[in-house]
Amino acid sequence: MDLAVTQEQGGIVVIGAPERVDGTNARDFQSALEGAIADNTRAAVLDMSGLAYISSAGLRAILLIAKSLQGRDGSLSVCSLTDSVKEVFEISGFDNVIPVRASREDAIAALN
Amino acid sequence: MATAGRPYKILVVDDELDVEPLVLQRFRRDIRAGDYQFIFAHNGVEALEVLNTSEDRIDMVVSDINMPQMDGLTLLEQIPKVDPNIRSVIVSAYGDMGNIRTAMNRGAFDFVTKPIDFEDLKVTIDRTLRHLEEWRAALSARDNLVALQNELNVAHDMQQSILPTVFPNDSRYHLHATMAPARNVGGDFYDVIRLANDRVGLAIADVSDKGVPAALFMMSSRTLLKGTAIGAEDPGEVLTEVNSLLSEDNDSAMFVTLLYAYYDPVDGSLVYANGGHNSPLVVRADGGVEFLPYTKGIALGVAPVFTYKSDSFKIDPGDTIILYTDGVSEAMNEGGEEFGTKRMEDVFAGKPPMSSEEATTMLCDALREFVGETTQSDDITCLTLYRPRSAS
Repeated sequence: MDLAVTQEQGGIVVIGAPERVDGTNARDFQSALEGAIADNTRAAVLDMSGLAYISSAGLRAILLIAKSLQGRDGSLSVCSLTDSVKEVFEISGFDNVIPVRASREDAIAALN
Repeated sequence: MATAGRPYKILVVDDELDVEPLVLQRFRRDIRAGDYQFIFAHNGVEALEVLNTSEDRIDMVVSDINMPQMDGLTLLEQIPKVDPNIRSVIVSAYGDMGNIRTAMNRGAFDFVTKPIDFEDLKVTIDRTLRHLEEWRAALSARDNLVALQNELNVAHDMQQSILPTVFPNDSRYHLHATMAPARNVGGDFYDVIRLANDRVGLAIADVSDKGVPAALFMMSSRTLLKGTAIGAEDPGEVLTEVNSLLSEDNDSAMFVTLLYAYYDPVDGSLVYANGGHNSPLVVRADGGVEFLPYTKGIALGVAPVFTYKSDSFKIDPGDTIILYTDGVSEAMNEGGEEFGTKRMEDVFAGKPPMSSEEATTMLCDALREFVGETTQSDDITCLTLYRPRSAS
């Protein structure tokens, strides 16, 4: 899976989520996220503006990345959620665990 | 129900001598039909002797905890050394959480509480034996090195085998459940737990991901929930406890969305806590529809320390409550549209069901019509409770 990856200043990487993450591609998605995060990445922001659907398997991939970043004092946040994905985050309570930001700019500003 | 042409052999271990005639009497039909064969031992030492010397393989053990010479918990540790494929059910005092938890940690498959309700014991025995059959199928699937696909199917059947199909018989409420599994996608489960004072515990859950690890995570979620639910009353407290147990050593970041509630038939109250699960739909007797308010909980296994809150809701005569998983709300039609919560409301608005079964049927029919020829991509599970207009 190819994801759009942008390196920002201060060890921040912004990763664009695909259109759909479900049981069939969650593992690919996870590997692609892992590939986008370098040893010196301090924080990752997952831009979800293009994500129309995420299943629980996709949430799990995100959780694994968040845990691995936290394990080395880093962090993961998400931004620009579509309405349906926002609902999934709210129902599952993931918005309590992973910071949700309105836009890329907000997400980066919150890290600095 | 028998295995490979012979009755299932069940070893009952209890130091009370009146258990033997009681079991033989209560299960006489199953024994006569050649379904079960009971063997009795009076403490752990005797039980191990039987296990080691029995000509045929013993299929399952039902054991008391407190016994002279060797107690049930020590016996549990020894059983896998004789045969790791024997399934054990523990008999414990009601609310004895310490021992129940130890028993579960030592590999007990399930437990029943004293005084023994023989109907419940039979349901538990049958469920255990069904699980055993699935497990044996899984083992032989492994032995034959059949495709991974096959193993996933078996894992799924294992999950199915533990779902309750017999519900408490109480004229003050009716329960119905259905689960339509998508091939290879496992993770939904529901449970119905008998509680003190005629209350009934209702659970619906969806485990992230699929396959064998998810099946195992689902098994432990269900066991921990059942064990915790009979020890703690408040659903929020139950979820808090189960979450903390599931979060221990959860490196694989598995999680489960779980809604747990108890229904009190005395006053019609439903007390519930929601761990990141879709909110149940309530259909009022007058055809009004609404979703239960969220309690702002997180899916279990995600945040190790989190206090779940309970809320309560009144179920009036003629009301139906529908617990479901996202396989219902996110079912897609040929145009890629989701069924969605609005359509769920439309199914019932102005058309209150007259039984729990009717509610399930209405929902499943509407779903089937909506999805048309599209392949079902997720398990579809729902559990409904109906409070009759007048208890008869």
